[in-house]
Parts: sequence; structure tokens; C-alpha cells
Amino acid sequence: MATLTSERVVPLDGSVSPGKDRLGGKADGIVRMRRLGLRVPPAFTIPVTECRRYHQSGGRLDEETWQAVLDGLRWLEQETGRRLGDPSAPLLVSVRSGAPVSMPGMMDTVLNLGMTDEVERALADLAGDPGFARDTHTRFCAQFGKVVLGADVEDPEPGADADSVRAEVVEDSGREVPREPLDQLREAIDAVFASWRSRRAIAYRKHWGISDEGGTAVTVQAMVFGNLGEASGTGVFFTRDPLTGAPEPYGEWLPGGQGEDVVSGTHAVQTLADLAAQLPDVHAELLEAGLVLERENGDVQDIEFTVERGRLFLLQTRSAKRSPAAAVRTAVDFAEAGLVDRMTALQRVTSEQVASVLQPRLAPGAAEAAEVLARGEPACPGVAAGVVVGDSEAADAAAAEGRAVVLVRPTTSPEDISGMIAARAVVTELGGSTSHAAVVTRALGRPCVVGVGTGATAGWSGREVTVDATAGVVYAGRLPTEAVRAEDDPALSRLLEWAREASPVQVVDEPPEGTVDLDASGVGLDPSTPADPARVAELLRGANCARGTVVATPAAADAVLDAGVPAVAAAPGQHPLVLLLHLLQAASRRRATAAGDGA
Amino acid sequence: MTDLRLLTLHGLAVKSAATPEAVAALIGQSPEDVQQALESAVGEGHAIGAKGRFMVTPGGRAWLDENYPQAFAPHRDDSAFTTAADKFERINRDLLALLTDWQSMPAGGERVPNTHTDPDYDRGILDRLGDLHDRAAKVLDRLTAAEPRLEAYVRRLDDAYDKALAGETDYVSGVRVDSYHVVWHELHEDLLRMLGRTREE
Repeated sequence: MATLTSERVVPLDGSVSPGKDRLGGKADGIVRMRRLGLRVPPAFTIPVTECRRYHQSGGRLDEETWQAVLDGLRWLEQETGRRLGDPSAPLLVSVRSGAPVSMPGMMDTVLNLGMTDEVERALADLAGDPGFARDTHTRFCAQFGKVVLGADVEDPEPGADADSVRAEVVEDSGREVPREPLDQLREAIDAVFASWRSRRAIAYRKHWGISDEGGTAVTVQAMVFGNLGEASGTGVFFTRDPLTGAPEPYGEWLPGGQGEDVVSGTHAVQTLADLAAQLPDVHAELLEAGLVLERENGDVQDIEFTVERGRLFLLQTRSAKRSPAAAVRTAVDFAEAGLVDRMTALQRVTSEQVASVLQPRLAPGAAEAAEVLARGEPACPGVAAGVVVGDSEAADAAAAEGRAVVLVRPTTSPEDISGMIAARAVVTELGGSTSHAAVVTRALGRPCVVGVGTGATAGWSGREVTVDATAGVVYAGRLPTEAVRAEDDPALSRLLEWAREASPVQVVDEPPEGTVDLDASGVGLDPSTPADPARVAELLRGANCARGTVVATPAAADAVLDAGVPAVAAAPGQHPLVLLLHLLQAASRRRATAAGDGA
Repeated sequence: MTDLRLLTLHGLAVKSAATPEAVAALIGQSPEDVQQALESAVGEGHAIGAKGRFMVTPGGRAWLDENYPQAFAPHRDDSAFTTAADKFERINRDLLALLTDWQSMPAGGERVPNTHTDPDYDRGILDRLGDLHDRAAKVLDRLTAAEPRLEAYVRRLDDAYDKALAGETDYVSGVRVDSYHVVWHELHEDLLRMLGRTREE
């Protein structure tokens, strides 16, 4: 058994202490999982100190460091029972950067290093799938070309062969994708260290006052394969439902799916219930790992995993992305279970998420009886009704008179933006969820349905319609909507109660005598010019209460605290919880600034 | 050479309701000259003005469409320019996908709004934006070689990227500031009008 005594390479076997500063973020995550007794594909890291040595020697990998990397590689080979470049039992590895703080401009990830023509043939036999082996090889060449050699090459089509991708890389960059596995490894490590001084990384550090002296670690990890042999596959596991927040396991399972290097569309996606039926022990181990990681990290986890011949490997865990409703529910559930404190729960929910949960929705049964005018792709969720107008000028004019309108356009150009601001909802005939219209309406939070079809909106002008942009449907007429009451939702009412206790400023329903009405002063009503915090603070000086649409913006919430106003009254349409979260966020910004000044 | 009369109205059409200063910045001319050109356009019925802002009239649009082919004939016949514009369209698709990822993130098979509370996620997108900004620079070089006034867009894109990198997140896809998307959208419109092409989305 090889032992690694060098300081220059650290095996991530659970005996090391975690530490982002030395190991980088990626390796730190692996060590933490290993120390919890969870199985992670074997990996070693070249610590941050080696990056400094690399740049001190004028951008060269030190020979002693390279020897240590070779020792690390031998250790990986022992752990996995495979060898780099050996067709009888091929080892493939990934190489990743890992600075203590991740930053743009760093070389990210190269997968499948160790791939050669012989290994491709061996993998084809092992997996019984020549297509998979060829695609893995071509994707390796394209990724290595792009990430390490800086070649501008397209992602290869399935079925392309490696030699043609290699030729494309040479043509664009003048450099070859190495054929020797050790050369691949060395060049990739070199590229990670070199990327610490890339123009973009330097620019980012300058902006954020991060020292150029630091450096990045390099993590080399064995790749596991969910497509080699029986009882194998890959999947994603959310420890709670990311759409509702319900405390139920949620995820996807792809039997026979490769793992990290996801090839889309080749396998039918199944659910975790299917995994439980096929591999009950693996399923139970996965759920247990989820509980451990939730407790450790105090948040809902999104875990990528691969099963290789009945053995579960965790590839990565992170805080799960979630819907606004799930954000509210899980924050409250975690605080009630004592996994986080109430202040943390409040910080985890943004005012935008609460506003989104409280958005009016179609009344139950309203849609069933209504006439559907068109269906399209939802681009920005929400429900709104109004009279259809066909251009920005009409939308501006109607909004100036306080009438609710829906802007309907074939496509949107920059001149439509003022109309999109003025309208309650937007519908376009062309385009998908990544069109200019979609991008603009999401930035505005304006309900929007795109791509209802050429000519589908003919004759709509002047009609009243209801746009359900959550479902992507446009209905004739004005359908009844229903406001969500925080009192009816147990999670929202707990959050409201905690927010009232924690907020430095009271939020009241009725404005008392002496309230400064910012709407009446005209502050922040023009959507094209953001409010000036200094002006708001000036207006509020000495007031005993503030009220106005603008208070529900970060700048104005800061101003309320700066002016020392003790209370805020909700303006029409403003929910107290949204105001409270803005005020709490402002208070936490102040604390952060104070701590920064003190340090 | 396109004359100031056409260029001013063209700039106004790209920018929509705009001040003479904004149009001047867009087309790279002096505000005084643009102010004068806008006032003559109002006299000809090609524009209307109110509260210091101007807008193109339907008559002005028709006049533009009539005059574009001749005014931009050299560009329409220049294959280096049109090839660069084709590349711009490809990068445009990537940018819109990137901005969608900036505004919404995948969660359990659906997309949910990005609340910008996950710094690693946001930095990953900014990294892709930096990559795209570099790719766009090559294409923009070729476009500005043929039409130097487009350099104004390049400077505005540099500014937006710089601000976004420095943590002013509104400068990625915000609507009320000169964000990367706002500037890009205008440049896209400018190119479509120059080349007489129609928007695909």
C-alpha cells in the first residue's frame, strides 16, 4: 500500500482535516463527506501552496510536485483497482480547479482524462456499447480542446469520431489533445494553475479586493461508471421536494446512466421509487446519507450520485435550488426541527419569494369554464388580466390613465420595453422561454406567455383577456382571481410571526398621525428611475412612520433604517411580510457593513 | 456614407422614446447636431417630440424602410459584415440561454426564479458571460471595422460586464439600467435594421 508522505499532494481519504484555504472548495467538500462516513469516488488534491510555487517558478510545474502527483495517481490506482491508460482495467479521472473562493475565469473541469484509442475499445467491450465509448472519447477531446487548449470548437454530435474532433482542435488552437494519459493529466493540472492568472480571474479579484497571492488547488478524482455492469446507474436526489418543500425524497434515477458525464436522451428517466424497488439497500443508504448531509449542512440538499455494481457513490452535494413555495416551507420546517435558528430561516427566504407565493392566482374552477384563446410557453409566471393593446404607445397611454392592459406583440424589440413596463402582462407570437421578451419580462417580474403561434393573436385588439403565465394559457374575458392569505398558510403565518419579532422596525396596517407618505411625494413612482436613498432618508427624517410603494425596495428599506423611522405602514397591495423581509435584509446589510468597518 | 438625417432617425428607432443625448451616444454624433436633425425630422412628420423626448412616427418608419436598402447597401453587399452578423446571431442565442439561467435555475425538473442568494451559482453564470464577452469581441471587431459607430456599443458592453463582475447584478439583465442585455438588444436591433433582416424571436 503506497503511503503519501509528501506535503505536495493530499489524499482525500477522511484522515485529513477539512480546510478551504489549503484544499480549495471542491476538495474541502469531498473531505467533509468522507469524514461523515459517506462513500465518494477516491480523489487527491494538489494544495493551494503548489499554485504559488508554480507561479514563483515562472509558470512551471515543479518536478518534485509532479513526482508527488504520480504517487497520488498510484494511490488512486490502488484504491480503484484500475490503472490510467490500461485497457484491461482502465482508470479515468476528472481534473478540477478549487480556489478557496470560486471565481470566474478559472479553468473549471475536464472529465474522462486517461482516454485513448485502446481505452475506447476496452470501454466499448466492458459496457457492451461501442457508441457510448466513442462518444465519451469525442467529448473528452472536445472538452480538453476547449478548456485546456482554449480551442473554439462546437460540442461534437453523437456518432462523431475522436480524430475529427482532434483535427478541429489543432486547426483552431494549433495545439494537439495529447494521446498519452500522463501528458493529458500534466497539461490539465498546468492549465488549472495557469488559469489563476487569467485576465478574467485577475479582473474579478481586483473588483473584489481578493489578493493575487492566494492560488487554487487542483483536485484529481477517479470517475465511477453507472453504465458498467449490473446494478448500476446514476441519479439526482433532493432531500425534500424542491417544488412544494414537502419532506419527501424527490429525484431521478437513470438505470445504466453513466454518471457525471451525462449523455442526454439515451436512457428513460425513472423515479427514486423505482430505485427502491430495484436496489433497496442502495436506496436506503442514499436516504440515510441525505439525512446526515441535511443535519450537517442545515439545509435541503441536492445530491448527485452514481451506483457502480451495487455500490453507491456520492458525487456532489449542495444546497438545493427550490421554488418560492418550497423556500418558505423548508425554512420554517428546518427552524421548527431545530436544524437552524429562526433568524437563519428568515434570511433564507427573500421578499421576492414571498411576493411570488402571495401572487393572486386563478380562482378554483375559473379556468374550466373559460374559453382558451391560445397556449404558449410560460416565460415569467403570474396571472394578470387586461384589455389587449398591440403596441407600446397604446400601453403607455392606457397605463397613464390607470387602465389595465395586456401587451400583445409578434416579437419584441427594444422599443417595446416601455410598453412591457406599462402592461400587466405580455404575450408574444414567436419565441421561446429564452427570447428577448422572456428575458425582459423576467427582469420586470411581469407575467408573460411566449410563442403562442404566428397569427394566433389576430383580432385580439381591444378584447379583455386573462393571462395565466404560470400555465402558459391565455383566456377570453376577465377571470376571477384569488389572493393568497398568509393566515391560511401555516408556514407563511409562522414566518410572519417570527419576522415581526425580529424586525427592528414595526410594520403596521393603519398609518398613524405624522406618517410620511412617499407616494404622495412622488418618490420612486417612475419605474424608469430608481429611488435615490439619500432623498428618501431626507424626506423621512424625524417621521414616526413611513408609507409608500418604494419602501419595498432595498434602497428605500436602507433609507428607512438610516432615518431611524420606528414604523412602516403597508401601502395598498403591499403585504406586511414582504416589507418585514426587506427591513430585515436592510438590517443585515447594516450589520455586515458595521462588521466590515470594524475589521 | 449614411447621412445624419437617416442615422439620427435610425438611432431613434433603435432606442424608442429617447432624448437627443441618448440618440447621439448611440450613433456617435454630437448632441447638438442630433438635436437639430431630430427637430427637422419632426418638421417632416418623421418624428414627434414631447418633454425633451422624441419618437419615430409611422410615417418615419415607412421612410426608414424605404431608405435603408440604399443607405446600408455597402454593408448588405459586404460578405465579411454579413458573416459576422450571422455569428452574432449564434452568440445571441447563447446569450439568451445564459440570461435565462441567470434569471431562473433548474430545480427538480422545473425552473424556479434565481434569488441571487447562491454566490457560486451566480459566479458560474458570470464566468460564462465573460467567456461569451470574449467570443463577442472577435465578432464585434469585424463589425466595427466596417461600421465604426458600432464601437459605442462595444464600450457600453464592456461597462456592463465590468459592473456585473463587480457585483452590480442589475447590469446583467436589468431593464432600467444600461445592462448587458439592454445594450445587446439594441445592438441586435441596429444590425437587423441595417441588414433588413427580421427578428426570429
